[in-house]
Amino acid sequence: MSRCHFLSRQERVLLQTPMSSHQVLICRNYKGDVDMSEIDHFFTLLMQQEEEGLVCPVMSHGNVHFLWIKHSNLYLVATTNKNSNASLVYAFLYKLVEVFTEYFKELEEESIQDNFVVVYELLDELMDFGFPQTTDSKILQEYITQKGNKLEVAKTKVPTTVTNAVSWRSEGIKYKKNEVFIDVIESINVLVNANGSVMSSDIVGSIKLKTMLSGMPELRLGLNDRMLFALTGRKNQTILHCLSDELMKRISPTNVKPLIWIESVIEKFSHSRVEIMVKAKGQFKKQSVANNVEIRVPVPSDADSPKFKTSTGHAKYVPEKNLVVWSIKSFPGGKEFLMRAHFGLPSVENHELEGRPPITVKFEIPYFTVSGIQVRYMKIIEKSGYQALPWVRYITQSGDYQLRTNS
Amino acid sequence: MPYFGSEEMVKELKRALSNPNVQADRLRYKNYITKVIRYMTQGLDVSALFMDMVKASATVDIAQKKLVYLYMCTYASDKPDLALLAINTLRKDCADPNPMVRGLALRNMCNFRMPGMTEYIEQPIVAGLRDKASYVRRVAVLGCAKMHSLQPNTDIDGTIVNELYALLRDPDPVVVVNCLRALEEILKDEGGVVINKPIAHHLLNRMKDLDSWAQSEVLTFLLRYRPRSDDELFDILSLLDSFLQSAHAHVAVATLRLFLQLASAHPAVQADALLCTSAPLLATCGAASRELRFAGLCHVQQVMRSQPGLFGTHYKRFFCGYSEPTYIKFRKMEILVELVNDENVALVLEELRSYCTDVSPELAQAAIAAIGRIAQTYSEKCLDILTGLLALKQDHITSAVIQMFRDLVWFCPQSTAAVCQTVEACVDSPQDSEQALLWLLGEHGDQISSAPYVMEGYIDGLKTELSSAVKMELLTASVKMFLCRPAETQDMLGRLLHYCIEEESDVCVRDRALLCYRLLQRGVEETRKVVTGPKSDPSMSVLTGRQEEPISQWASTFNTLGPLSGCDLCPQTAVISAADQPSSSAEKELLPESTDVTLSSPDDTEEEISLSLGPPLSHETFEKMWLDLEILQRQTMGFPRPRTALDTLQAALQLVKIQTLAFTPGATVPWKAYIYTRSTGTLILAELLQGDQHAPGIDESLVVSVKQQPVNQHAIRGFVSILKGVLQTLNVDSS
Repeated sequence: MSRCHFLSRQERVLLQTPMSSHQVLICRNYKGDVDMSEIDHFFTLLMQQEEEGLVCPVMSHGNVHFLWIKHSNLYLVATTNKNSNASLVYAFLYKLVEVFTEYFKELEEESIQDNFVVVYELLDELMDFGFPQTTDSKILQEYITQKGNKLEVAKTKVPTTVTNAVSWRSEGIKYKKNEVFIDVIESINVLVNANGSVMSSDIVGSIKLKTMLSGMPELRLGLNDRMLFALTGRKNQTILHCLSDELMKRISPTNVKPLIWIESVIEKFSHSRVEIMVKAKGQFKKQSVANNVEIRVPVPSDADSPKFKTSTGHAKYVPEKNLVVWSIKSFPGGKEFLMRAHFGLPSVENHELEGRPPITVKFEIPYFTVSGIQVRYMKIIEKSGYQALPWVRYITQSGDYQLRTNS
Repeated sequence: MPYFGSEEMVKELKRALSNPNVQADRLRYKNYITKVIRYMTQGLDVSALFMDMVKASATVDIAQKKLVYLYMCTYASDKPDLALLAINTLRKDCADPNPMVRGLALRNMCNFRMPGMTEYIEQPIVAGLRDKASYVRRVAVLGCAKMHSLQPNTDIDGTIVNELYALLRDPDPVVVVNCLRALEEILKDEGGVVINKPIAHHLLNRMKDLDSWAQSEVLTFLLRYRPRSDDELFDILSLLDSFLQSAHAHVAVATLRLFLQLASAHPAVQADALLCTSAPLLATCGAASRELRFAGLCHVQQVMRSQPGLFGTHYKRFFCGYSEPTYIKFRKMEILVELVNDENVALVLEELRSYCTDVSPELAQAAIAAIGRIAQTYSEKCLDILTGLLALKQDHITSAVIQMFRDLVWFCPQSTAAVCQTVEACVDSPQDSEQALLWLLGEHGDQISSAPYVMEGYIDGLKTELSSAVKMELLTASVKMFLCRPAETQDMLGRLLHYCIEEESDVCVRDRALLCYRLLQRGVEETRKVVTGPKSDPSMSVLTGRQEEPISQWASTFNTLGPLSGCDLCPQTAVISAADQPSSSAEKELLPESTDVTLSSPDDTEEEISLSLGPPLSHETFEKMWLDLEILQRQTMGFPRPRTALDTLQAALQLVKIQTLAFTPGATVPWKAYIYTRSTGTLILAELLQGDQHAPGIDESLVVSVKQQPVNQHAIRGFVSILKGVLQTLNVDSS
């Protein structure tokens, strides 16, 4: 990657001709082998592709390739004239977003303009001459702070991390209480067809660690299912995708029911009203409880005067997203709840075609895993030989959970 | 963008920065500096403040230093003379006790992109390479590469290269990887960094210490290493085994590529690696970020070129989500089409059916095209769906369906009857698909009872028809229809021909009409012979359906931009110089040894030369060279040109590495052909001529004229004898 741009684009939609203006917010030229004006071609290409309806995350102009991602109203564009590894570039761009979000809470045009000094500093440390350098935000935060205008002469001390042999962890970390928090998280992806048949359902499992361990420990994690991961004192958070065959086999679509089953009837009477009936059923064991359940039901964009009736929780109309959000704080397994909604429709029909967005569901079930994965042991070995406490937590949550509707 | 009053602003800033009161107040001073950088970011020219900014670099505040350095880097190339003044400050900082300051100064000094910088930065870089802080070493190592890129054409400094090779053993993993990156840049012309056995083993052992970016890059560098024995190969593979399942998609894919390349002689190992990676690849296809998901899908597509069955059971993962962007949906549909088998066909079709009514017409049409492709194997089920779609009476859907019908009839003749029955119902076809409909009507008019009446509608509306392609199709279709149903068609065909010949302004249409007219004048039988060809060609579907390709076909572009942008881009530099020896001159690349053939000529067994194709010559280059060069040898072959078809001749020549550039059609006199080839450093151009008017005596014999650059008589003799051999063989075959 030879350059990285932050661009913003506000779309000014005039009534007759959609116009768009763009502006390069910040640009860091790492290698100097791509001409600065090349970025102008990016927007020409992008607009051209948008018109044709065939946008692609890789675009080429001559020898220069643009790899871009969009984050809220920002475009992050990497330009390169090499045939580089695309997944790495995208992963790096997302890493940038992650780092900046940790620094500024939200990454958007304003936060970049307000913090451009830190942005420059970070871009300098994250990459040099087109090669990723220090990208761990925990380490970056040790020596690049946001309180830039505070003058501290003493602050010029170097963090040991950047001069260490171990780049991902500072030396001499000390905790009073040595603990490891292990989160075993399973995200459920479900796709249900309009006629109620389950098209696909699978689980993406991940294990997240939050370690509060002194020194340079070596961690060994033992799981059932003959899966074993050895981690050597790595980052505070290590995410392992465990999508091994053993897991996949158990979670074949035939025997995994969607944990929250939705039946919906959406009746649209043109020019007068829409009536929605949604039935939700918890298809998991009675002892478990799903928390913060949110069922999002799409409604036509021209609907008005909402009326709701729910057997539990409460429903809310979100007009800017054309949704009814039905939230239920706690949803015990095996229970069934009902929501009815009634909307008015204008007598003058909207001629624009609308897509048929699916119903989506969000939930979280603590102390429960679908796959039955279990942490058998967690060994922590450190020179000083301290005892550390491992805490394990199991959570099953919704991933991409979609149920298609008829209307 | 020049701001109004920008000059005033710069003046004001200059005043403020040089004000001793401001300079004394650190906070105020820094605020002004921040302001300068802000204007610079906004595109304002603040280069006039260079001197004041250089002064501001003498501070203990690192953040302020960084800002000033950034400013200097931006304007150094515009103000090289002033930048030299800053160098002293920077060099002083390079000796600062604080390693952060040292690293910072060194990095920024190397970022000055201006001529003559090398002499100032060389010494600090060399010192930096031996710095005890790894932060400084990291910067210094990349500094070497930057220094080289400042003066790309100078000789490579051997001591620095050696030092960098030595630093590959550095305890800091980032320094190690930066060394590889820097060496790669510096030794670009020699084929990049050399990975020999000790280096490869060292890197393999350090793999687990590296961060994911570095892992992915090291894996790419390791592509050029060739293990000496199978034992070593398997040791390496087992070391890398765990990386196949890496949580980072780019590492897993890079490992897979290395596996595929290293184990190119062990197909079982390759298959195993693909199986192992299928889980991470599938996980990438469901990644949260859409770009990574896209990259994952593209790689899945590549893998499927060799192992179409690998993802068969996971077909449901390629069902489209509602909010996914079109480019992902398109890829997923392409994959679904490839994954269809007897068990899942019903579900896949049901899924694709639901996309056909999507709001986006492009997506709907792509879904219909996908069903059409599946129809080539499962025609019955698909026909039901396609027919059902017609009932929706949406123009873009109907149009796509009719186009699919045409392809279907062409590829699978058994579905003709069903299609004809359906076409009957859709009389008013929307634009874009008129040609397809007319083709169907003309080709199968005997099975579509209403065909003449539909066609009559088109003929009556001819005056308003704009597209000449439709008109031409209409002409052909009407003639075909006339042949099978003359009574109903005769009258309107007459009107059509009359209109097209008398009133039509488009020459092509008029010519086509005249052709049809004259053809009909020759009689019906004659016309039938010309107009009616085969009604379908099932063998064509073999061409459109993919066959399993060997892994080596795509392994070289795996994990690059290639699979994403759909076309094969220039190969990564790492691949070009895949050879162990770094010396690959341009000359050698032009003459790839692997494609050489050695032929012993039948006449003269002493002369053995090898010909090779090399990169293709364009017509223009050939012409220019042909005109510039002198004829070195002219020889009469003593026999006429082979009577085989011309493409046979071309293929035969290709076989012995002689490329045919152009030739005149078979029956013309004089007959000519231009050919060329390469041999041990020379380019040979030749002309074959038969029936030259100026030399009537040798009418029946073939004359070869050879030109060459540079001259090499030995090569010419060899070339002529090879050519003679081929032509003689062909003559024997054809007689």
